[in-house]
Amino acid sequence: MKKRSQISEIWRRLKRNKMAMFGLIILLIIVVLAIFAGKIFDYEEVVVKQNIAERLDGPSMQHWLGCDEFGRDILARLVYGSRVSLIVGVVSIAMAMGIGGTIGAVAGYYGGKIDNVIMRIMDVFLAMPSILLAICIVAALGTSLLNLIFAIGVSFIPQFARVVRAQVLSVKDEEFVEAARAIGSKDSTIILREIIPNCMAQIIVQATLSVASAILSTAGLSFIGLGIAPPAPEWGSMLAGGRIYIRDAVHLTLFPGLAIVITILALNLLGDGLRDALDPRLKQ
Amino acid sequence: MEENKYILEVKNLKKHFSTSKGMLHAADDISFNIEKGKILGVVGESGCGKSTTGRAILRLHEPTSGDVLFEGESILKCNKTQMRNKRKDMQMIFQDPFSSLNPRKTVSEIIGEPLRLHGIIKNKKEREEKVAELMRLVGLADRLINAYPHELDGGRRQRIGIARALALEPKFIVCDEPVSALDVSIQAQILNLLKKLQAERNLTYMFITHDLSVVNYFSDDIAVMYLGKLVEKTSSEELFANPTHPYTQALLSAITIPSLEKKKERIILKGEISSPINPKPGCRFAPRCNYATDICFKESPELREFKKDHFLACHNFGK
Amino acid sequence: MTSKNSVEVKDLVVHFETVDGVVKAVNNISFNIEKGKTLGLVGETGAGKTTAALSILRLIPNPPGKIKQGQIILEGKKLFEYDSEGEAIEVISENEMEKIRGNEVSMIFQDPMTSLNPVMTVESQISEVIEIHQDVDKKQALKKAGEMLELVGIPAARGIEYPHQFSGGMKQRVIIAIALACNPNLLIADEPTTALDVTIQAQVLEMMRDLRNKLGTSMLMITHDLGVVSEICDEVAIMYAGEIVEYGTLEDIFNHTSHPYTEGLFNSLPNIENRYEMLKPIKGLMPDPTNLPEGCPFHPRCEYATDLCKTRKPKLTKLDGIHYVTCLAYEKGTEIKMEGGRIENGRK
Repeated sequence: MKKRSQISEIWRRLKRNKMAMFGLIILLIIVVLAIFAGKIFDYEEVVVKQNIAERLDGPSMQHWLGCDEFGRDILARLVYGSRVSLIVGVVSIAMAMGIGGTIGAVAGYYGGKIDNVIMRIMDVFLAMPSILLAICIVAALGTSLLNLIFAIGVSFIPQFARVVRAQVLSVKDEEFVEAARAIGSKDSTIILREIIPNCMAQIIVQATLSVASAILSTAGLSFIGLGIAPPAPEWGSMLAGGRIYIRDAVHLTLFPGLAIVITILALNLLGDGLRDALDPRLKQ
Repeated sequence: MEENKYILEVKNLKKHFSTSKGMLHAADDISFNIEKGKILGVVGESGCGKSTTGRAILRLHEPTSGDVLFEGESILKCNKTQMRNKRKDMQMIFQDPFSSLNPRKTVSEIIGEPLRLHGIIKNKKEREEKVAELMRLVGLADRLINAYPHELDGGRRQRIGIARALALEPKFIVCDEPVSALDVSIQAQILNLLKKLQAERNLTYMFITHDLSVVNYFSDDIAVMYLGKLVEKTSSEELFANPTHPYTQALLSAITIPSLEKKKERIILKGEISSPINPKPGCRFAPRCNYATDICFKESPELREFKKDHFLACHNFGK
Repeated sequence: MTSKNSVEVKDLVVHFETVDGVVKAVNNISFNIEKGKTLGLVGETGAGKTTAALSILRLIPNPPGKIKQGQIILEGKKLFEYDSEGEAIEVISENEMEKIRGNEVSMIFQDPMTSLNPVMTVESQISEVIEIHQDVDKKQALKKAGEMLELVGIPAARGIEYPHQFSGGMKQRVIIAIALACNPNLLIADEPTTALDVTIQAQVLEMMRDLRNKLGTSMLMITHDLGVVSEICDEVAIMYAGEIVEYGTLEDIFNHTSHPYTEGLFNSLPNIENRYEMLKPIKGLMPDPTNLPEGCPFHPRCEYATDLCKTRKPKLTKLDGIHYVTCLAYEKGTEIKMEGGRIENGRK
């Protein structure tokens, strides 16, 4: 019998999915560019310094994607802006996963009154449009990277609570959980060592797709001015800034828009691919 | 000090589940004892409550009422910590080799978990050695130590379950249909393994099954259950030689025997099994019994010892 | 031209082409079922019994399944024929197959819980198959459905109930009613009583026997339970790793057991008459169907195997009447001894 570790088995299945690999490669390019942004473009010179002479210039050999309303190189700003999107996206979702996951696991495992109370509270949060919730929090606490992460993270907590609770419910009645009780495991041990590892598949898929949503929310908040303060580049605020020039200098809005679309698309493709690869039922 | 010859004493054990349609009497008034080193087979068809009884004895379901004495001490009076300790002595082997193992753990992690939990062997390397020893004991090849359950077949998975149950060196094991999900040729391997382990370690088993030919081969004593009640209990030899309860007689006559010898006339039971939810008064088997009389529909028969070591719950037989 | 056989299967080979390799599910099997008789197809998980049965109905999922060779003739009509290269010589159309399924050949599956449509009444599920194959209106079909229910021991008035209102045993009876509604010539039953309680199994087997005698249906009974075989079958084929290793009448298989695997199956079963007799399990495990052993597929587990068995593939050898066995010990000049067990006792 061929012995394969579970991770290599999942990787093998994922590799076969061309669209998912495409998404993964795009994401890797974005991440690499974000990490090495400093080496490619000097922040002060190219990203922030205004250069009125070149304002609204279209794409050229010097500026591959053209310049914005302050003459700043759009490509450089996009690459630096990706840092914000990625950081906010990943960290906010990680926070939501941790908090929401714990809430959902406790609700699902114990059931009864605890489940009821917790989930009704989550329902209250879910009843609010998530962007509205994020707006309220940022408006109250002020615009900073940390607050942005917090606001968006909070808005995703109920979703994760729901997903994890559903997973826990489906796993907790399996015989191996009963077996864990029979050998004397405590509840916390059972949840952490037996149940959660078996829910990871769905959680990872949900996380990947949520990061896409979070990036969109980040852009949205910045668009209405509740994101990162200028002159720091962010895709949403770039869209906002280029809005009035949309008729004559469409590249100001086109390229940030494309950046958002491509990133979200890549994350969605990867997320779908992960869902298929992690689903044990597809194993022949 | 006189050592109690019974390792397990079950007294009037009841387990009821509250459902939307009413109270489900999964197990009612179950009483029996198991001697140290013996195997009690518990048989019955679906809905008889044998699995529920097994789990209630280990407090995997909390009993509704009654008592369970392990080595003379009531385990129902134990608190959480005491119970965790008691679990070292009372283990379970599960029916489904596919769902009773955590798919995300390796063989080594599954078997080693009980040792890690109770802090018996804290050192990881020593634990792995003990796991290897257990694997050899149940006939699992060394090279499988880092394999995952889904890579192995039902027989090997069941061996993992057995190794896990033995890790804490228990005195008593509840085997819940341990071979029902396995192919015939593998069943025989696992049954032989269980018998060998029992002899070597002087274990006591409660062997739950629906397969009558297997229970005859494997157990010293047999308890027959119907719809949550214990209807007959005696030694295997006596049960097959002199089945007294009408249900036992019908059950034994229904067995398909792999031989061309002339078969006895089959007793076909009329009707269907009634619902365990809000059961009517009287004997639970009465509606299907060919010998039922008036009293059978009014009063529930008590379990009596009508012959030495032969218990029966019936108004009309065993006088 | 009427044949005395209800179905003839010749040289059937079925493979499944999967990512993990080629699963050799059925490896050159042949058998016939005479009209009115019952053949038991016995084997454990992965032996290829269900695949063989599905081939008769041409229900092998394609992909990944492929019939690589063989022909099946049903009541004298050829359903398909593929030569040894896998080329189709004659294959009747899917349309024609649909007329045959449920009508001339019916199949009942193992799990009665999932075989019935939960949102249709039981009588409508029976009448559905009648309406598909017979030229009758709905009213007549429902009347016939009621008759079928009575035939399987369920009051016709219960026809308006839904599957969840019936117990496991009764659901299986409904399934049998559906299968027999168009009075098929051949009924394929795949482990029909395995999921049922012992006392219910007894009832259902009795009912199947009665119906089979009354209607004259031929039956292919797939099972792993030799007890069930002894109650309802006339002839038996023992399958292992996609091959038929022993074939014969009940008397041949039970009292003159010849193949070591068959002997091993009997030895794995507890003896009700003698509870002290030790079980003698077959050592080892079923082979991986993507990687079958060289020579005889059973040799790694056979206690009589010799070196010859590791390399030479045994051929079907006729023993007596219709008793055949696939084992080198019965071929001339192999000098393989099989002593001390059921096989030896059967020869006396």
